[in-house]
Amino acid sequence: MSRELSTFGSRLLDRRDFLNYSATGLGSLALATLLSEDKLLAGGAAPIRPTLRPEAPLAARPPHFAAKANRVLMIFCSGAVSHVDTFDYKPELVRRDGQAMPEAPITFQGEQGNLAQPRWRFRPRGRCGKMVSELLPHLAELADEMCFIHSMTARSNTHGPAENQMSTGFTLDGFPSAGAWVSYALGSECSDLPAFVAMPDPRGVPQVGPNNWGSGFLPAVFQGTAFSAQRPIPHLARPGAIGNDAERAGRDFLRLLNEQHLARHPGDTELSARIASYELAGRLQTAASAVADLSSEPAALLDRYGANDANRIKSGFARNCILARRLVERGVRFVQLFNGSYAMGEGVGNWDGHRTIVADYNRHGPILDQPCAALLRDLKDRGLLNETLVVWVTEFGRMPTFQRGAQGRDHNPHGFTVWLAGAGVKKGFSYGATDEFGHRAADDRCTVYDLHATILYLLGLQHERLSFYHNGIERRLTDVHGRVIEDILS
Amino acid sequence: MTLASLRLALLLFVGSIGLFVLHSGVVAGQDKKTDARGAVDDTEDAKKSHWSFRPLIRTEPPEAVNGVKARNAIDRFILARLEKDKLHASPEADRRILLRRLKFDLLGLPSTPQEIEAFLSDARPDAYEKLVESLLASPHYGERWARHWLDVVRFAESDGFETNLHRPNAWPYRDYVIGAFNSDKPYDRFILEQLAGDKLGADEATGFLVGGPYDRVKSPEIGLTLQQRTDELHDMVSTTSSVFLGLTIGCARCHDHKFDPVSQVDYYAISAMFAGVQHGERPVNDAHAADRRTKAAKLKTELAALDRAIAKAEPLAEPGGPAGRRAPVSTTENTERFTPVRAKFVRFTILATNNLEPCLDELEIFTAEAEPRNVALASLGTKASSSGDYPGAVIHKLEHINDGRYGNGRSWISNEMGKGWVQLELPQPQEIDRIIWGRDREGKFADRLALKYRIEVALESGMWRVVATSEDRALPGTKLPDSPLSRLLNRRAELARDLREVTQPAVAYIGKFTPPEPTHRLHRGDPMAKREKVKPASLASFGRRFELPEAAADQERRLALGKWIADPKNPLTARVIVNRLWQHHLGAGIVDTPSDFGLNGSQPTHPELLDWLAMELIDNGWRLKHIHRLIVTSATYRQAATGNAKAEAVDAGNRLWWRYPARRLEAEPLRDAILFVSGKLDLRMGGPGFDLFEPNANYVKVYTPKKAFGPQEWRRMIYQSKPRMQLDDTFGAFDCPDGGQITPKRNRSTTPLQALNLLNSPFMLQQAEFFAERLKKEAGSEPKDQARLGFLLAFGREPTLQERAAAVALIREHGAVIFCRALFNASEFLYVS
Repeated sequence: MSRELSTFGSRLLDRRDFLNYSATGLGSLALATLLSEDKLLAGGAAPIRPTLRPEAPLAARPPHFAAKANRVLMIFCSGAVSHVDTFDYKPELVRRDGQAMPEAPITFQGEQGNLAQPRWRFRPRGRCGKMVSELLPHLAELADEMCFIHSMTARSNTHGPAENQMSTGFTLDGFPSAGAWVSYALGSECSDLPAFVAMPDPRGVPQVGPNNWGSGFLPAVFQGTAFSAQRPIPHLARPGAIGNDAERAGRDFLRLLNEQHLARHPGDTELSARIASYELAGRLQTAASAVADLSSEPAALLDRYGANDANRIKSGFARNCILARRLVERGVRFVQLFNGSYAMGEGVGNWDGHRTIVADYNRHGPILDQPCAALLRDLKDRGLLNETLVVWVTEFGRMPTFQRGAQGRDHNPHGFTVWLAGAGVKKGFSYGATDEFGHRAADDRCTVYDLHATILYLLGLQHERLSFYHNGIERRLTDVHGRVIEDILS
Repeated sequence: MTLASLRLALLLFVGSIGLFVLHSGVVAGQDKKTDARGAVDDTEDAKKSHWSFRPLIRTEPPEAVNGVKARNAIDRFILARLEKDKLHASPEADRRILLRRLKFDLLGLPSTPQEIEAFLSDARPDAYEKLVESLLASPHYGERWARHWLDVVRFAESDGFETNLHRPNAWPYRDYVIGAFNSDKPYDRFILEQLAGDKLGADEATGFLVGGPYDRVKSPEIGLTLQQRTDELHDMVSTTSSVFLGLTIGCARCHDHKFDPVSQVDYYAISAMFAGVQHGERPVNDAHAADRRTKAAKLKTELAALDRAIAKAEPLAEPGGPAGRRAPVSTTENTERFTPVRAKFVRFTILATNNLEPCLDELEIFTAEAEPRNVALASLGTKASSSGDYPGAVIHKLEHINDGRYGNGRSWISNEMGKGWVQLELPQPQEIDRIIWGRDREGKFADRLALKYRIEVALESGMWRVVATSEDRALPGTKLPDSPLSRLLNRRAELARDLREVTQPAVAYIGKFTPPEPTHRLHRGDPMAKREKVKPASLASFGRRFELPEAAADQERRLALGKWIADPKNPLTARVIVNRLWQHHLGAGIVDTPSDFGLNGSQPTHPELLDWLAMELIDNGWRLKHIHRLIVTSATYRQAATGNAKAEAVDAGNRLWWRYPARRLEAEPLRDAILFVSGKLDLRMGGPGFDLFEPNANYVKVYTPKKAFGPQEWRRMIYQSKPRMQLDDTFGAFDCPDGGQITPKRNRSTTPLQALNLLNSPFMLQQAEFFAERLKKEAGSEPKDQARLGFLLAFGREPTLQERAAAVALIREHGAVIFCRALFNASEFLYVS
């Protein structure tokens, strides 16, 4: 095996050097040239690096094989949503409410109090009869659309690293996010908008902020562009001090300078790309303003989302949900929609309900529930769910116990729930299970790597082969792990 | 000689003649995995005979005859290789271009019209060499090249992860690096100091060890604690090995390296080198310590006299007394005087704040005696308790209330909005007459201030007696009428601030050193799966091998590692650094994976040249400026950047250097150049950095980009206080590294967001306005003169007739700001050719 690897490695080097010599002279973008599926290398998992056209690095690129989904909407609830209070019904936990948990572990904040049953009643929903709690009544109505994974596990029990892992595959800072990987692999079908949009919650950015949508060592062009209904793309609009005519005249002059400069450097595609980027910027200005303008949406639809709700956080999030749909509709490849922000006091800005989970979640539940459910329904009504994969995630779950001396739950990375919906996944389906209390994944244990592998698979990408050569390492979203969760595929 | 030392001597000998020592069986306790390895001896050989693990070889530079004249040995290697592919080098670029190229390359700054004029008219045959010398002697050289180094070592000035708190004292390492480049510190010494500067009189250098992220969120859960520690060590191991050795040792954390001869035991042997290194601040030995002690003594005497005068003049607190008797509550420091009382307990109860949960940075209790003592200090045995503490915050803790340290960074916050109490229990009853408290004595924060409060004392538990309240203070915001007392108080505030400054030990975020914890091999890298102990040792397969005893002290370990890396016989060290220098001068490394010289890295395009440069470095006292000089004076470097269809057909990537590689400026020289051209660049060097984000007091830092900029922010970008994972919102999009991972080679993207930032950000608009003002001031109001100067300053050349006509029309019609904004956006401004 080692020998094969070594031979493989040396051939890889030869191949790469060959490509370096024949590349188009464009620095890193060019070096990320396709290392195609070479039959000579096909024994193992030869890396696949997409061909990037320097003047159009976001041009649509074909997947590795027929895709089930062509875009992703990831809804990320920051702060760690309690699975036992939402989607993971545990009758035994209800039965043994108030009793001590056998062999209760020391967790993130310390010792455990007693087992605590969910504070919201569960009842069967939809034709599938899925037990969902009353905390999220609107989402519960859509149980028939959802594909639950109840046996998810995370590699860290603290927010920063765990949020990093869910967004980038690695617990450490500085790795490319899933959205960046997907934009790198597939480019975009929408030439006037960013390929990857991250939408922070109205209350603020999520816990590890831009690392959630960073490009790490991938070229910056694949970084998520952060904007929302509350905050437009930074520097999108021309400064107020500059009038229309002045703007046009200034741009014309700039084009003259750049074209003459290019004429003195004939064939320099990087310079052509720069001229193109100013044209793209112009189109982006128009398209991004148009997509963020919700005034064309019917009043009834705004109400369905809760966009006029008296709760300004809820109405803000609802507007982000509408914006998310509009982006998906226009072909944006990856939309990451955040619910919950950085920590601004425990359980205040996000789902981190350590001490007073009832009060916290009665605040957070309604912000998420109606807008998010309306979004799912809207996508379905417009037929977008047929080609869009929706993934609802959080960094980890929470304990079936209350913390000692508190009325809330501590972190629990050993078992929690995520759900998917839309293109390529089963409907009204539940996969995997935690133990009797909801503490640890017991059946069909899954990792975040598996989830990422499955997302890539649904997009027609092989997670073991989609790679970027960085400092001697073929980097992957799934590192050296991950398996496609085949049982949830439709 | 014992058997063991005999073996060690033998190993050293073998290592010194540059052969590779097989690692299996040398280090005790190593698992050999013979089952997997038994049949693959030849692979092991392949690993060990890899080009970069072989000793350096000095090859005579080939005689090249083709095309351009060779100026030095570099050219002979380059030309000979070009000849092989029947390619020619390009002719020398014109002088104007060379000057611009050199100045950006060596200093990261544009040239002035005067510099251009002087260089163009310098007829001396060695005018170019003289220019190189003057640029290498400029202090701005260090600022330019330190940035390259800081990329490679993942340096940033915040913790990363979700708290991402600022490290206010991390900048001394940045200044150390700038200074090291400027003084042409021998590179072997530079390595040693960064690993063991505490031993070598270079404390700041060890900022290297802890320049990476640090997870401040601590937990009683042992698994998390161990994981965090192993992650810290992993950062040190992988950074050290990739920076200095170009090896991805980090890959052997969970299993033997897949490609390189690095075993999992090797990984933990290197990890053991750092087992005594902890994140955090350490006092810096500086030259002014004695001076500051004298100043402090003088200030203390002065303060004591002043305190006696104030004690006579300042009214005592009068609970329930009329409002306005005493000064309003201050955010920095408040004194409560009362008639002497015997007390064992003091309780401070907050009833209302200006906002949020109340914060106190320190609570001090003074004895009623001639030389009052603060008996509240925990170090004297006083115990603190409270109504409840702000959860999860690292900088706000109950223990900070009486730790003798001031400021928001060492404070207590209650867990309730607008209220809470804190209580101190003295070890024995004391006669007291004064209490001093504050919100933030460093004066940075004005929120969370206690406006209504009550202070009680008791001799026995529960027998409370009120000694002071906020009732008799003036309303917040009231200005004190000028009086002898107010003057005394103002003077006291000044002296107290001065005293704090001189007594504050000069500390820097350069790591703390503790006795090393034992190092174990971790099965699959899992910190909960400890296997055999591993001693600190060098890698088994490189250089002069050594192993230290398990009991070796922390500093001894780091010093030994440094010496092993900086050993001229180590085949990697010199190769790796000359390749980095080459990469920055000539666009790509001779090895294009600058931090991976292992089997999975790129092959060198010019292996003999690489070795030749590495030996030049070692033979010339490891002086980097010697290598810079060789490279930039070569004909290879002086080539024009012009294209050539024939050469492009053979080597489009220009990996053989048939021309100079034109490229876009990185974020930092771009921002610096804009400020330079607008006339606003502040070239002051060193010291604390400037912030491009709004101040923020949340316990996890929230980064809001500044929208308005002043002279503070007009220094060179190397002095930006650089947070991790948070890029500047104008220049970050230019592939600026975020300090999350090492960045040995920056990407170079072109994106529409870059265009939007350069066109529309407030920073750019403001600088375009300054540039326009400058044109008006220096060229007068005539558009054609403004146009000419604009081109000279921005591009270093005169406009063509067509350009001038267009510029004049634009300025006439829409003003010079629009013209200047366009110049800043022009490809010619951003590209160096």
